Amino acid sequence: MPDSLAADVVVIGSGICGSLAAHRLVTQGASVLILEAGPRIDRGQITANFRNSSRKNDYMSPYPFSPWAPHPDYHPKDNGYLVQAGPYPYPAEYIRVVGGTTWHWAAQAWRVLPNDLRIKTLYGVGRDWPLTYEELEPYYYDAEVIMGVSGAPNTGSPRAKPFPMEPVAEPWPMRRFRERLAPGGYEVVGNTTARNSRTYDGRPACCGNNNCQPICPIGAQYDGGIAADAAEVAGAKLIPKAVVYRIEHDPQGRIAAVHYYDPDKHSIRVTGKLFILAANGIETPKLLLMSASDKYPTGLANSSGTVGRNLMDHPSSSLTFDAEEEMWLGRGPQSPSSINTLRDGAFRSERAAFRLDFTNISQVYAAAQDLITAGVYGPELEKQLRYRAAHQVSVKNVLEVLPHPQNRVVLSTQKDALGLPKPEVHYSMDDYVHRGMAAARTHYARIAELMGGTNLRYTPEGQYANNQHITGTMSMGNDPKDSVVDPFGRTHDHENLFIAGTGVMPTSATCNSTMTAVAIALRTVQHIRQTA
Amino acid sequence: MDDPDEAGPRDPRRRALLLLLLAAYAVPPIEWAFAAPADDAGRDAFLSASNLITGRSKLDPGLTSRLYEALVADDPQFPAHVQALDVLIRKRAIDPLQLQHSLDTGQPALAALPRKIATAWYVGIVGEDPNARCVAYETSLMSVAVSDHLMPPSYCSGPYGSWSQKPG
Repeated sequence: MPDSLAADVVVIGSGICGSLAAHRLVTQGASVLILEAGPRIDRGQITANFRNSSRKNDYMSPYPFSPWAPHPDYHPKDNGYLVQAGPYPYPAEYIRVVGGTTWHWAAQAWRVLPNDLRIKTLYGVGRDWPLTYEELEPYYYDAEVIMGVSGAPNTGSPRAKPFPMEPVAEPWPMRRFRERLAPGGYEVVGNTTARNSRTYDGRPACCGNNNCQPICPIGAQYDGGIAADAAEVAGAKLIPKAVVYRIEHDPQGRIAAVHYYDPDKHSIRVTGKLFILAANGIETPKLLLMSASDKYPTGLANSSGTVGRNLMDHPSSSLTFDAEEEMWLGRGPQSPSSINTLRDGAFRSERAAFRLDFTNISQVYAAAQDLITAGVYGPELEKQLRYRAAHQVSVKNVLEVLPHPQNRVVLSTQKDALGLPKPEVHYSMDDYVHRGMAAARTHYARIAELMGGTNLRYTPEGQYANNQHITGTMSMGNDPKDSVVDPFGRTHDHENLFIAGTGVMPTSATCNSTMTAVAIALRTVQHIRQTA
Repeated sequence: MDDPDEAGPRDPRRRALLLLLLAAYAVPPIEWAFAAPADDAGRDAFLSASNLITGRSKLDPGLTSRLYEALVADDPQFPAHVQALDVLIRKRAIDPLQLQHSLDTGQPALAALPRKIATAWYVGIVGEDPNARCVAYETSLMSVAVSDHLMPPSYCSGPYGSWSQKPG
């Protein structure tokens, strides 16, 4: 490997946003180099890892972390990579491999609601986005065509064209939720997902492996690995195990190069005309902060002081109960249906909005563990296992949190194996979240009632699960004083430095964040093309 | 890279290895013969306790062996403990639903055993983290118990859309 490399465009991070940006730019004639900190992985091997795993409910267990490019890993014990400063835990999960974290997503490819982008104007909380839904809409569709997205037409997000695919067939238990909740005023609809209902772009239709997380064994849902493959086939050069540790600028503030370590800590300098940071909402701000210089003592792209700040995600509470009738969760995809009518309203001035999501994940593994923990043995063990596998269901929320500057990613004083600072997160939950969670509980109770539910088990109050939707840490905005990038993803401070990923979202909004990040990334690429 | 076909059956090294393997298969090693009685007692007790804990009188012999060996590898005391557990169960004719409570209150040294055995059979996992390992998945009893309705996750549940049908 030479000590220096060069390309027109250098992309840092091979996840879904970086790889799709790379693919489009190389298709348009640029030479593109993708630097990925992690190794290549193989779908078959990850599927085997899952089947051999001793922790089937730990979605990270099939994805071992690399010593030279660790990602957070909490089981069987915390590897200590993501340093927790509190006061609220933020155990984010992400995967540093070629293709990134969408290897183990549930393919939820949601569009925001138009009002999500005007939350400050409409409800006096959070912040407005520097673009409108109408500006974003064509790029949503662009992304939907690439990723093979389908869904219900009535989720509150207007569309100019129909989905490129018919919705995925509705699993039986979701039908029963839909039918039994309708009289209570709840409209249960199919989720908007990047999951094939037919052969699409050379990938097969879903065959109900019920294993979207941690790995779809057949590639029936889109992921960043598919995007990275496509970028390479189109001519992008991808270098795995390349840990970018410094961004170098020239005296005028333009980016001249990035420097990466290989696993042996051999350093390579990569020059380019244009750079796109797409290493996720924690690793990208970490890299910007690590690249501080005499000219930029608080880090690159950070004249606003907001790099790493306004960290957001979607916390979840849930209710698990036994439905009156046999549901047998576990046939078909894992996360097929939800309620979307609670995502917007005047209440947003007071408390958080949310989507309500019904799981279709097989309950067998969890039920077996619960029964054994309770000491249920003998014929009763199998009998109760079958009952729970048939009847146990759950509903959870995906709840919007507001941006707060004190919730942030900073550089830890602790170092990883290459001697690079670990990321440290400061996180808290406010009453806006807690009030939203309280509202969700009333809906959970009503849903259980309509389903004839018994044995209701709420998650403990104040203890929320995390959804790995890392947002806000490099927010876009029109004002360089309070944002990191402009509405097109270009950093205010460095003309040839762009950021792609969920970190540029000014608010977490009321749905999973990947699709919005991809749409914004495609818009960024369009802008690069028009202004180059 | 060696060509896998290069060394055919007539290769003398392969022939010698094959004969050695056949001999090993036909004649049990001496160590095995000596160890047999104690090993058999442990295996018998494991099978007996497994029958009670799983609620199944018929258990796959191959999986029984693999789980037993994994449990012994995880804990060298397992054969002795499982024999003690089996004796206790037989002597007191303990109801499986009372077993855990009975051990927790009266036999704390054996209290961890039923969960180990149930986890091995039902979840297919032997040992505790960080030494836990998966011995069975598709053939674990949690998979077998619901196989009339569900495939183990990561296996295709049927043709596209089959999941829309009412289970049964």
